[in-house]
Amino acid sequence: MQQQQQPSNITRRHDPSHPHHHHQLTEEQQQFQLFQESLPKINRLVYQMLLNEIIPTSISVQNRLDESDDNSDAEQLKKLSISEKPVVPSHKLVSQMHEIKNEGRYNNILERIRTIGFKLGCKIADLLVFANNPNLNFRDMDLLAIMKFVCRDVWKLVFGKQIDNLKTNHRGTFYLIDYSYQPIKNFALNDDTNKLSAEELEKKELKSVEPFLELPVGIIKGVLEALGYNAKETICLATYIDLPNEDASHYGFSKGISFHVQVTNTTRQQQP
Amino acid sequence: MAIETLLIVNKSGGLIYHRNFGEACEKRKKLTSNDYLIIASTLHSILAISGQITPRALKLNQDDIDYTIPYVPGVGMPSSDSSNNSKMSKLGSFKGDDYFKESFTSWNKSGLRQLSTDQFTMFVYQTLTGLKFIAISSSVLPKNNEMETSKNLNLANQIGDNFLRKIYCIYSDYVMKDPLYSLEMPIKSENFDKKVQEMVYNVQ
Amino acid sequence: MSSSAGQQQIKTLKVLGEDVWKNKVEKINSELFTLTYGTIVSQLCQDYDRDFEKINDELYKMGYNIGVRIIEDFLARTALPRCTDFNTTSEVISKVAFKVFLNLTPTIANWSQSNDAFSLIISDNPLSDFVELPIDAMKSLWYSNVYCGVLKGALEMVQLDCDVSFVSDILRGDNQTELRIKLNKVLKDEIPVIED
Repeated sequence: MQQQQQPSNITRRHDPSHPHHHHQLTEEQQQFQLFQESLPKINRLVYQMLLNEIIPTSISVQNRLDESDDNSDAEQLKKLSISEKPVVPSHKLVSQMHEIKNEGRYNNILERIRTIGFKLGCKIADLLVFANNPNLNFRDMDLLAIMKFVCRDVWKLVFGKQIDNLKTNHRGTFYLIDYSYQPIKNFALNDDTNKLSAEELEKKELKSVEPFLELPVGIIKGVLEALGYNAKETICLATYIDLPNEDASHYGFSKGISFHVQVTNTTRQQQP
Repeated sequence: MAIETLLIVNKSGGLIYHRNFGEACEKRKKLTSNDYLIIASTLHSILAISGQITPRALKLNQDDIDYTIPYVPGVGMPSSDSSNNSKMSKLGSFKGDDYFKESFTSWNKSGLRQLSTDQFTMFVYQTLTGLKFIAISSSVLPKNNEMETSKNLNLANQIGDNFLRKIYCIYSDYVMKDPLYSLEMPIKSENFDKKVQEMVYNVQ
Repeated sequence: MSSSAGQQQIKTLKVLGEDVWKNKVEKINSELFTLTYGTIVSQLCQDYDRDFEKINDELYKMGYNIGVRIIEDFLARTALPRCTDFNTTSEVISKVAFKVFLNLTPTIANWSQSNDAFSLIISDNPLSDFVELPIDAMKSLWYSNVYCGVLKGALEMVQLDCDVSFVSDILRGDNQTELRIKLNKVLKDEIPVIED
């Protein structure tokens, strides 16, 4: 990595829909808000559960694909059997991840989750571009503006909150920091065996939650791709970071997440 | 109403949560976790048996009995002088300033709901999915005349039900939305713990 | 249950559903839901190489795992009493559950002779907004099969063993989207022993 400047800290701007925002909304902005409010809605909880269920489903798919690879005769037999196999519960699927020794399998699952996130990111970018939000001018956006868009608008849409902190060296490297990444906020692993030390349990918990982070990684890459930054030239990795020392209970999960994004080609490939 | 102990028992009688609060922490130190497991399964059996021995008269008149539990405002909620902002975000996915504000029907129609002794009072709240929320309170109901006693019992019961339904709401928020959580296994969520502690503290 | 008492109960359920939806839940634009689900289905098509039986099955399983959990939220939030008959169950599902979670009120129809099965006719299904199925999918894919899993799982948790499946889907060129729920049995052994 080239010599970095002191990374500058860009915290979020005020959310225009926040009630304490000082400026009077323009008519365009008002219209946009009204339009958004009139769109059909569903319960956020349903969406949250669907989003989280992507991970156990991706594991279940891998299991099924491996089964049919291993033994296609058994697969044929299964098709003939009438009895219904019980559904493997989500928590069992998730804990299976921890047991997987085969790196190829493990990575296949992560790749699947990331791909879903990527496709989702592309569609979300389209959705937000075509929403004609008067606050967003995509044509004039440079990479930094697009990252801010990810931090504010994309995150707010999908996770109900913005990224807590954005750091950049203004040379294509970004850190998106979320101290209370919403989908994992309530996650807590219990120790079925009752034999693990607190440290081992924490380690196991963090490892079990890792696959869940591939989804937002994919989303970030997908958004960037849709807005002109080829996925092949973008790196995105998620790591755990410690929470700042303030009241930790405010955050939810025991660790924050830092998304490290590196874009090698900082000029945008204009869309046709 | 001072809550000393909260137990959550799953549909097969297994103990999935127990916590002592305040002074009970000292008092109950002599009980091991194994003791609690036994308490849980005993309670589970007792609840099952009590359902069978409900007086016939009660069963026959079931349609006439009103199982509505009125909403008792403010049970387990922070006092009104705390800032509004801290209240709003505190209820997880439940919008508004309380988990619910209407009266509701008790699911417990013929079993044990409350056990009063001269040392403690125990409240039982059972859900349609078989979960049992049990609160043990150090408040003992004074026994004046019979009318007073039954009125007090009733009010205490209502507060108990309101309180335990809110614990159920917290449970559904924290535990049910966690794909890492094995249904029927002990709850180890710190967030759940904290929220429960908050509620117990508010209800003192 | 006399029919006027029945009507009153249905009205109460409707009011409850609307009240919870309006005041007690956080809402998001359903288009996000639509496109997320679409992405999941398309990934499954890729993974299972368009073996629609497997895809239907996976969507069902996904729904089941959501259903066994979402029921607790539903019960904690509404505290609805146990349904006295399957008729009431259908009303609760249609007027409260679908309303609270998806802002939909499917029509209840096609009751069986023995009152042990009914259909839900879903219009304005958010999952299938703007979706068009390719021809091979139109023959074998039940696009919204996740609903079947959710209902199966949720009902099982309140001791109702049901079969839930789609009968028709406008995405397949049918006239309407119809989901059928059939009660197999009440899991009496598992009913918490506090009720008769």
